[in-house]
Amino acid sequence: MSSSAASTPGGAGLSPAARAGTRQNRVRTLTDRFATRFVTASGISIIAAILAILFVIAGVAWPLVLPARARALPAVVLPAGTQPLAVRVDEYREEAFVATSAGLLLVPLKGGAPSAADLPALDGATVTSARSVTGGLALGLSDGRVLPVTTAVDVTYPGGKRLLVPRVTAADPLVADPAGRPVKTFALAETPDGPLLAAAVGPREVSLDTVTETTSLIGGTTREESRQSLALGSEGDASALAVDDRGQDVFAGTTAGKVVRFDRTDASAPGLAESVPVNGDGAAVTLLGFLNGDRTLVVGDAAGRVSTWQVVKDDSGRRHLARMHDFAPHGAAVTGFSPSRRDKGFVTTDASGRTMVRYGTTGKTLLDLPGAGAAITGVTFAPKADGIAAVDAGGKLLQWDVRNPHPEVSWRTLFGKVWYEGYQKPEYVWQSTGATDDFEAKLSLTPLIYGTLKGTFYSLLVAVPLALMGALYTAQFMHPDLKALLKPTIEIMAALPSVVLGFIGGLWLAPTLERTAPGVLLMPLVIPFLTFAAIAAWTALPASWRRVIPHGYELVLLVPVVLAGGALAIWIGSGVESAALGGDYRTWLVSALGLSYDQRNSLVVGIAMGFAVIPIIFTVAEDSLASVPQGLSAGSLALGATRWQTALRVVLPTASPGIFSAVMIGFGRAVGETMIVLMATGNTPIMNSSLFSGFRAMSANIAVELPEAPEGGTLFRVLFLAALLLFGMTFVVNTAAELVRLRLRSKYRTFE
Amino acid sequence: METATMTPSPTTPTHAVSMDARSAPASAPAADAPPLIEIGGFSFWYGPKQALFDIDLRIRERAVTAFIGPSGCGKSTLLRCLNRMNDLIDGVRVEGSVRVQGQDLYGPDVDVVDVRKRLGMVFQKSNPFPKSIFENVVYGLRLQGVKNKGVLRDACEKALRGSALWDEVKDRIEESALSLSGGQMQRLCIARALAVEPEVVLMDEPCSALDPIATAKIEELIFQLKERFTIVIVTHNMQQAARVSDETGFFMLGKLIEFDKTDVIFTRPKQKMTEDYITGRFG
Ligand SMILES: Nc1ncnc2c1ncn2[C@@H]1O[C@H](COP(=O)(O)OP(=O)(O)OP(=O)(O)O)[C@@H](O)[C@H]1O
Ligand SMILES: [Mg+2]
Repeated sequence: MSSSAASTPGGAGLSPAARAGTRQNRVRTLTDRFATRFVTASGISIIAAILAILFVIAGVAWPLVLPARARALPAVVLPAGTQPLAVRVDEYREEAFVATSAGLLLVPLKGGAPSAADLPALDGATVTSARSVTGGLALGLSDGRVLPVTTAVDVTYPGGKRLLVPRVTAADPLVADPAGRPVKTFALAETPDGPLLAAAVGPREVSLDTVTETTSLIGGTTREESRQSLALGSEGDASALAVDDRGQDVFAGTTAGKVVRFDRTDASAPGLAESVPVNGDGAAVTLLGFLNGDRTLVVGDAAGRVSTWQVVKDDSGRRHLARMHDFAPHGAAVTGFSPSRRDKGFVTTDASGRTMVRYGTTGKTLLDLPGAGAAITGVTFAPKADGIAAVDAGGKLLQWDVRNPHPEVSWRTLFGKVWYEGYQKPEYVWQSTGATDDFEAKLSLTPLIYGTLKGTFYSLLVAVPLALMGALYTAQFMHPDLKALLKPTIEIMAALPSVVLGFIGGLWLAPTLERTAPGVLLMPLVIPFLTFAAIAAWTALPASWRRVIPHGYELVLLVPVVLAGGALAIWIGSGVESAALGGDYRTWLVSALGLSYDQRNSLVVGIAMGFAVIPIIFTVAEDSLASVPQGLSAGSLALGATRWQTALRVVLPTASPGIFSAVMIGFGRAVGETMIVLMATGNTPIMNSSLFSGFRAMSANIAVELPEAPEGGTLFRVLFLAALLLFGMTFVVNTAAELVRLRLRSKYRTFE
Repeated sequence: METATMTPSPTTPTHAVSMDARSAPASAPAADAPPLIEIGGFSFWYGPKQALFDIDLRIRERAVTAFIGPSGCGKSTLLRCLNRMNDLIDGVRVEGSVRVQGQDLYGPDVDVVDVRKRLGMVFQKSNPFPKSIFENVVYGLRLQGVKNKGVLRDACEKALRGSALWDEVKDRIEESALSLSGGQMQRLCIARALAVEPEVVLMDEPCSALDPIATAKIEELIFQLKERFTIVIVTHNMQQAARVSDETGFFMLGKLIEFDKTDVIFTRPKQKMTEDYITGRFG
């Protein structure tokens, strides 16, 4: 029977054997088709699964890059004749408190008529200036007093219905000017020593009013007010004021366009510490205010420019104002300001009715909201930073919904140097949580990427030479019997859980290395030297002696040599330490090189993680070396090459694509490795290439911080972004590696 | 046609060789000259398995000696023993002697690397290195430490002319050797072996993977090479052995059955087994 007959379709008179052949053919075709489809489907589903993971990760990180959005809500028209000065809203944005020239107006935002609050403490005076302060509003009065008012909303449920009752309580007024002149502008802060009031009443001076409250055991609280006058001299009249809640400095913006700082380090005699021209052209400063945390000073001027400043220490320890950011300017004089109470965001308004949302750390303007055209006189960022309310000279209360969950994130803050509050200069910082409420999360991924690359670099520095040389020896020189034993052993190393390696690295290796670091660092010199010496001695031996060790078993002789080399290196190291390094290498490191020695450092990680990546590099490299066709090495040997020459000139280049993949696979493993870097480094997110300092890798960072990160928060999403970055890094490296490998392979293609 | 590719160039030493190749008489040198290689009582074992039994053979200088015999009879084994390539196999053992110009190849103070330089080898399957044509040819010279570009280039040209490949590749010697055809690759491997100026070229079925035209070229080449080199060739092709060789050894089951002048072996063999094999009655 011929196969062509069997495959002829529809052959009526086929023999049974031929028919069996046809059936067999059909089964074969079906099996073939099934296998093809099955393999294809499996491949596609794996790719789909990976893509799905990628999409999930990217989906969580995505909102970080969404821009801020705002939606204007219908404006509330205030009663005719109202001159609003400042505004404040409650947490739920249902009630607004508007300071007007006549007192305080309660404005329900969800419908209902505005009503005037009962404020008997006004005592017939009118309000000349107003500001938002902690817990409420403060009103500067025409009779030289400043009246702090607490504003709150009580929620009650009479008859099961939710009812909001605004509550306004006036505190004891502070007397800014006993002479009773109207308060033009003021600043009030609650310092640890009691309220501190700075007010402008007369020309070219600032009056400073400190209230000390002493509670005696009997007789209740006594209140003592003391007044100081700060002369502005030639700097101009005070047109804006600010005091921080530490009571450290008093800032006065002047009509001459300067910011004058009075240092209250000696509270009994505050002195004019410096006077800084803000924009150089003398435009009057119209606004001073602090961002959340009272460290960054926002300065607005009559020309509409907005900048942020910070008091920093110079090298000699002197404090001075330093400019941090300039923001997109307003077209008209800056009139209002309100900080976000959650982060370093703030809003500024101007005389043309525009409102701008900004972010202090990034220096970015996030939103530019047009108004109704009338000058805005007061603005407030809602307590949850989810809305803005502003009052304008036209007697309107404007409102916006704001959605901006991650204002602190930008490419700059994630990857660039950022000048954070309290820092003397811009830096890369990762510090996600802090002790205080006004703490600002510093989420620079750069130190983490640096840490990841540093750990990878040091571990590959350890692993690549060892693994590749081992692979070359195993593939080219080792006796097959020994290889059959050794290769699986090394492969088992790969199965060692990395948590065990991290544990050993952190708890045993780190302290051991600390004792023997100089010796360990000498090992890469001493061991090869001793090995070469041993080999030279061995080849000098008579051939009959050498025959004791069969070909391919020379390794057995080298093991004690290497161990002896290690011991020798440690011995030399301690000798060097006591002779040349003054007995303690750590003190020497600090004094001579300025490096500090952390116990859990990059050397520990290099060795521990090197140990983890050696097996994979070794296995892949050995496989590719061993699969170089025998004919090539035979050809080389037949031309009079030694085995070493053959290995280096023919086998190694031919296997180079595989060796390259091996190193790249090792790289990928080291980049993604988590447990070892978590346990064997101090996890300090510093950027420093020193072998003796620790680092924090992206993977370890995710492991450490994700359980603590509130879901949906900025930190949470930034951690997902880090995961995406890790994914991207391994993807890019692997793809690049594959491309290079394919190129190399076509270059060193061996026809087979 | 083959001779056309060997167009003599008066400026190269190949010239004289080519001229000699054409003008030399077809017969071998004087039969009473001392043999270059003398194999005496040679036995060989792969581990416990004996592959060669008590071989006695003399290979004359500047002659082509062919080994023929059925598959598995030990031709390749013997060939590999001549440049000690079998040393690379684990557990092999030899007895008897192989003398090259009177020196025992298996003596205690023999440098194996030197042996392989003197007795070059061309394999059944061409095995050019994944390097350029030039680098393939000069590989052996580089191993010997030759660095001078000019020397290497001259040697490369000489070897490529010697293997009748020069005209085909002279414009592309920097290209990968793997871009050559199968026959060209095999001639490249011959050039590579010639470049180190060996005394003997051992060829193990050099044409078995080639088409008739490529085979004819290599046969022509062998014919020319024997003016400068001693050649030992293993072949399954009776016609080839008859065409190119001066002397032929017939092997069976590891034993040398008959060894004589080629025309004697092919026209009036003394052994019945030889005759049966040559006439195609078995094998
Ligand atoms: N590396 C080896 N290890 C063990 N036995 C081997 C080895 N190489 C060859 N042999 C055996 O030695 C015998 C001779 O083999 P050899 O390769 O020399 O035969 P051959 O004459 O060249 O055959 P062919 O014409 O098929 O190439 C065979 O029986 C073979 O199985
Ligand atoms: Mg053979």
